[in-house]
Amino acid sequence: MKVLVVDDFSTMRRIVKNLLRDLGFTNISEADDGSTALPMLQGGDFDFVVTDWNMPGMQGIDLLKAIRADESLAHLPVLLITAEAKKEQIVMAAQAGVNGYIVKPFTAATLKTKLEKIFQRLG
Amino acid sequence: MTIAMGNTVTLEQAKLLVEYLENDQQDKADQLLAEIQNPINSDLFAEIGKLTRQLHDSLMNFQLDSRLSDLASADIPDAKERLNYVIERTEEAANKTMDAVESIFPAVDEIQAQLQLVEPNWQKLMRNDIDLAGFKGLCQHIDKLLKMTGKETNNIHTLMTDVLMAQDFQDLTGQVIRKVIDLVREVEESLIGMLTAFGITESMLSERTGSEDNADNTEVKKSSPKVGKNLVEGPIINVEERDDVVADQDDVDDLLSSLGF
Repeated sequence: MKVLVVDDFSTMRRIVKNLLRDLGFTNISEADDGSTALPMLQGGDFDFVVTDWNMPGMQGIDLLKAIRADESLAHLPVLLITAEAKKEQIVMAAQAGVNGYIVKPFTAATLKTKLEKIFQRLG
Repeated sequence: MTIAMGNTVTLEQAKLLVEYLENDQQDKADQLLAEIQNPINSDLFAEIGKLTRQLHDSLMNFQLDSRLSDLASADIPDAKERLNYVIERTEEAANKTMDAVESIFPAVDEIQAQLQLVEPNWQKLMRNDIDLAGFKGLCQHIDKLLKMTGKETNNIHTLMTDVLMAQDFQDLTGQVIRKVIDLVREVEESLIGMLTAFGITESMLSERTGSEDNADNTEVKKSSPKVGKNLVEGPIINVEERDDVVADQDDVDDLLSSLGF
């Protein structure tokens, strides 16, 4: 399973990559914002996207909307891992079709649970 | 500059003055003139006093202004550098820690793999059910496990010390951030001082915003700083005081499930 991790902070990408690797995801690529992530997604056969919300350039919420608007990517599960904690934002992400929402700071156990839930739902 | 003429010369005074002069009473004439001029002089003094006070205030303002310009030209760029230092140090610490942890993972995995090789023959030995070949194999696996564990635990110990030492950023960045907080406080005080020198009070400021904005959202605008584009705010630091944010992951899950997630 090919995963794209999108975050502007390299340390956070590294943390998420380590956690994902521990959960058995070994094919992981990185992007530092939505505008670099989108062409990667369109060009590669990714199965799953983990993205931050607040990034320079294209924000995570806009990346999510762009993924849902692109016929070839619309099915991709997207997990938001973000410090953004306003109820309004969570509702907005849900309406935009997010598959999971994790608030930072988060734990390895939370990530595991959310991933299981996402893939269980996808079947 | 206009001087308020409190007492102008009256017709009687003028007639009296002419009379004195016609009668060669120069002393009396001079005295009368001084009396007429006196009230004007006191007005003049009052005016000079007012101007002096204004000049003094202006000089005080100027001093405030020059401190403000120092703040803008030197202290604030310095603070930006300091905050960049905080970003660099914290990033460096995070990477140092992760370097160590990423080296510890394979070491632990290797020990675990070697343990699994020992396990089956060890269980046989414990049940008195081991043959000679099995026993030889067990001895070799245990020998390798002992050597490897000895080497790797030393290695892990060194890496854990690296993790420990990487935490020194907390002290260094704490000191830097405290200085920046002091600067922010000084800027705040200077700005308030300048507003006060210009005679602008807090109530005047809030009145002004009140009249420009809709009355119902002035409260919100005053109490919460503006949020960047796209509603993005970053980590919430005053969760307890807010009711528009979630406190933790459970809140997020509850909210999402209430939306039918």
